[in-house]
Amino acid sequence: MNKSGKLLYNSLNDNYEESLKFKDVSQLGDTPYDVAIVGAGIVGTALAYKLSQYKVKTLLIEKNYDVGEGTSKGSSAIIHTGFDAPVDTLESELVTKASLEWPNLAEKLKIPFKNCEAIVIAIDEEQEKKLQVVYDKGIKNGVTDIKKLSGEEVKELEPNVSEKVRGGVLVPRESLADPFSSSIAFSEIAMQNGTDIILGVEIIDVENKSEVIKSLVTACGKKIKTKRIVNVCGLGSEKFAKIYGGENFDTNPRRGQFLIFDKHSGTKISRIFLPIPTAVTKGVLVSPTIFGNLLAGPTAEDYPHSFETISETTTEQLQLLKEGASKLYPGLNEQPVINIFAGVRSNCTQGSYWIRCNDNSPGILTVAGIRSTGFTSSPALAQYLIYKLKDELGLKLEENPDAIDSRPENKWPGWWKPRYNNKEAVKENSDDGKVVCYCEQITKGDIIRHLDSPLKPRTLDSIKRRTRAQMGRCQGFDCMVNVAKIISYHCEIPLEGISKRGPGTEISSTIPSNN
Amino acid sequence: MNSNKDYKAIIIGAGPAGIGAAMKLYKSGVKSILVVDRNDRIGGIPSFYKKKKGGVRTFMRWSRGGYPVFGEDFAKWLESLISETDIEVKLDSQVLEIDAKKKSVTFVNPKDGKVIVSADAIVMASGSREENIAERKWLAGARPSRVMYTKQLLNLDRNDLLPIKKPLIIGSDTIAYAAAAKLKVAGAADAIIVDNRSNPTCPIHERLYFRFWTNPSFHGFNVDTMEIKGKESATGVLVNGKHFDCDGIVISGELIPNSELALIGDIKIDIPSRVPVVNKDHQLSESGWFAAGNILGGFHGAEWCYFNGKKTAGSVLKYISKS
Repeated sequence: MNKSGKLLYNSLNDNYEESLKFKDVSQLGDTPYDVAIVGAGIVGTALAYKLSQYKVKTLLIEKNYDVGEGTSKGSSAIIHTGFDAPVDTLESELVTKASLEWPNLAEKLKIPFKNCEAIVIAIDEEQEKKLQVVYDKGIKNGVTDIKKLSGEEVKELEPNVSEKVRGGVLVPRESLADPFSSSIAFSEIAMQNGTDIILGVEIIDVENKSEVIKSLVTACGKKIKTKRIVNVCGLGSEKFAKIYGGENFDTNPRRGQFLIFDKHSGTKISRIFLPIPTAVTKGVLVSPTIFGNLLAGPTAEDYPHSFETISETTTEQLQLLKEGASKLYPGLNEQPVINIFAGVRSNCTQGSYWIRCNDNSPGILTVAGIRSTGFTSSPALAQYLIYKLKDELGLKLEENPDAIDSRPENKWPGWWKPRYNNKEAVKENSDDGKVVCYCEQITKGDIIRHLDSPLKPRTLDSIKRRTRAQMGRCQGFDCMVNVAKIISYHCEIPLEGISKRGPGTEISSTIPSNN
Repeated sequence: MNSNKDYKAIIIGAGPAGIGAAMKLYKSGVKSILVVDRNDRIGGIPSFYKKKKGGVRTFMRWSRGGYPVFGEDFAKWLESLISETDIEVKLDSQVLEIDAKKKSVTFVNPKDGKVIVSADAIVMASGSREENIAERKWLAGARPSRVMYTKQLLNLDRNDLLPIKKPLIIGSDTIAYAAAAKLKVAGAADAIIVDNRSNPTCPIHERLYFRFWTNPSFHGFNVDTMEIKGKESATGVLVNGKHFDCDGIVISGELIPNSELALIGDIKIDIPSRVPVVNKDHQLSESGWFAAGNILGGFHGAEWCYFNGKKTAGSVLKYISKS
C-alpha cells in the first residue's frame, strides 16, 4: 500500500481546516523533491498522474484554489483525433497518440466519455472544393478512418444540418469528455500514489537555480527544495520563465468565447459540426456536450498579455458567434442560451508546444504554447515530458509496483449517475434524496461526498465543476446559497466566508443583517 | 371520473398559485389532492421575504383593502389554509420528469426516495425565476464573485447575512426597489439602480412607497451591452463609457417561467419566452394538464397568483366532471 501524498492549502485561507493549511515547509519533510510541477492545469495534473506510476518524489503546486481552474476550465471539451493538426509536428504526433489512449484512460479515471463522431461541413461551392484538402490532411496525420460524405449523406446522418450542405468529411473517433473531472481525477490518483499537492500558492522566485537542489520561493515566503522544476503554468508560463531566466518566448492569450444552450438542445444534433478551417482560424463549431447541452464557439481573439479583461465576454462577439454557428445548424437561433463564457488559450508566438529542456538552468523544463489541443494531448504530452525528464534532466525512473492508475469505482459518482435511481441508496442516506440544484438535479449527498473527496474542495466553483450544481439554466438562482450553506455546515466555515474561488471572492463583503 | 390513478389532482408547486388551486379543489369536494414542492416549506417565493422588525412589507393584500404584509406572513397564511385540510403535501420533493400521456409525475425526496404518482388532472404551478446573465443578452463582461440574483440575496438574508454594503442593482422593477429597501434597512448604502431602459419598470406609486426606506438613484440606458467589472468580486458596471462603483451586484427581475418539465415532457412551450401554450381555460397542449400563476409569464404578485390558481382549479373541476 502506498503512502498517500499530502494536500495543503494556502494558510491565509480560512476556508480550510487547520490540518490542511500550509504553514511551514517542515510539513513537506526533509528530502528535496525529485520533480516539482508548477501549474495544476490539465497538462500539469496529467504529468503528475503519469509520474506517480514511478518511484519519484513529486510535488504539484498551483496558485489557484483548485486544479484545472485556469486555462483548462474553458475548453470545447472535445477529444480530437488530430485529423486537422499541422502535419509532422510534435502537436500532431501527441494529439494522434493521445486520442487513441483516451477511451481506455477515461474508463480508468472514471470520467464520462462519449464517442460522438464529427463532421466537417461544407455549405458552399468554395468550401466543397476544400473538403479534399481536409481529407488528405487527415490521412497524412494518420487518421485513416475518416470518410468523405455527399451532401445527402450528411443530411441523412444529421437531419437538422443546414439545407445548404454540399458535402462533408466524417471523423469517426472525435469524442466528448468532461474537462473538469479529468484534471481532478489525474490529481486524486497522483495524490493517492504519494504526490504532494499544494494549492493557492504562487511561486515568485527560484533560488540556487544553477545548483542541483534549487528552492521555489512562494508568495507566502516559504522555500521548497526540489531537484527539478517543470513549468506548465499555461498563460503564466512566460512570467514564470522570466523569473528563472529561461529562453525568451512570447505568449499571448487568445480569447475564445462560447455559448451554452439548454439541455434539450443537445439532442437536436448528435455529432460535432465543424466548419471548413480558414487560414486564420479553425472556426466556430457546434457540438453537443457530454452533459447533454449544446455548445457553440469559440471565437478567436488575440490580445497582448497586458489585456486586462481577457476572460470577459462581449455581446458583440457573441452575436457574431451565433451567426457563424447557425450557418451549420440553422435551428440554433430557436434554442435558448443559458450561459456564456470566455476561455483563454495560451498562444506562443514562437510556435505551439514550445518545450525547452534545461532551460538556461539545469533541471528546469519549460512547457509553453499548449493551445486548444492541450486537453486531448495531455496524456501523451505527459509521457513525452517524462522521457525528457529521464533523458535530458537525469531523472531515474523506477516503476512503482504499488501505484494505482484508476479511481476507485463509484466512490464519488458524478452527475451522470444519480444515486436516487437506486431505491436503497436514499434509505441508507436521506441526503441522496434531497435535490439541491434543481436544474441539474444534484443532491446534498453528491455535494457532501465531493467535499469529503481527496482534494477537499471548499469553494463554490470547485463544487460546481465536480457536481454541476449551479451549472444549469438558472445559473445558481435557486441553489447557490443552499450549496454555500452545505459547505458551511459540513466544513464548519462561517457562511460569509464561503468563496467563489478563494480569498477575495467571498460571497459577502459582510454586514450582519440582524435588525 | 373512475380511474386507477393515485390522486384526483396533483399540483406541482406549493407557492401562492399552487395553494390557491389546491384550496379551491378541496373546497369543491375533490378528495385526494397531492401538492409537491422542492422547497422545505410551503409558500413559494413569498416565504423568502423574511419578517423583520422595521423591515419592508412588500406583499399586498388587495382583497383585504390593500394593506402590505411581509412575504413570510403571506406564506404562513397559505400554510395555515392547508393545515386545516387533509390535502397531502410533499416538501423537499423535486419533480424529475413527467409523462404527459400517462399523466404521471416522478419526484424524489429524502423520505420516500424516487416515486412515480399519477392523477386525473395535474396543475403546473412552478412559478418563475429571474433571467440569468446570458439570457438577458445585453449583459456581458467579467464573472466575479458577489454577483447575485435577488433570490440569492433573500436566501442569504434568511440566514441573517446581507452580503453587500454598496449595492448596484441591475433591473428596475418592484423586485429591484424592494431589494434596495431591504439592503438599506440592513445598513447598506442607497442602491444604484441601472437598467437597459429609459424609465424604471417599477410603477411610480410603488417607488414612492419604497422611498420611505431608501432613495436609490436610477440610471436608464438604451444600449446593446453592459459589462460587469471585477477581477475577484464585483467592483462595478461599465455602460456607455460610464463606470458605476459597487461592492456587489444584484441582478433583479425579468422573470422567466419554470416550464422545463413541460418542455422535456413534450408539452408545448414557446421559445424563447418559455411560456407554456395554454387555452383560455389554462389547459396545456396535453389533455389533463393545467398551469397557474407566474409560470404563465408576466410579473404578478402573490395574491394575483393565489386567485389565478383558484381560477385554474375551476377549469380542472370542469375537466374532471366531464371525463
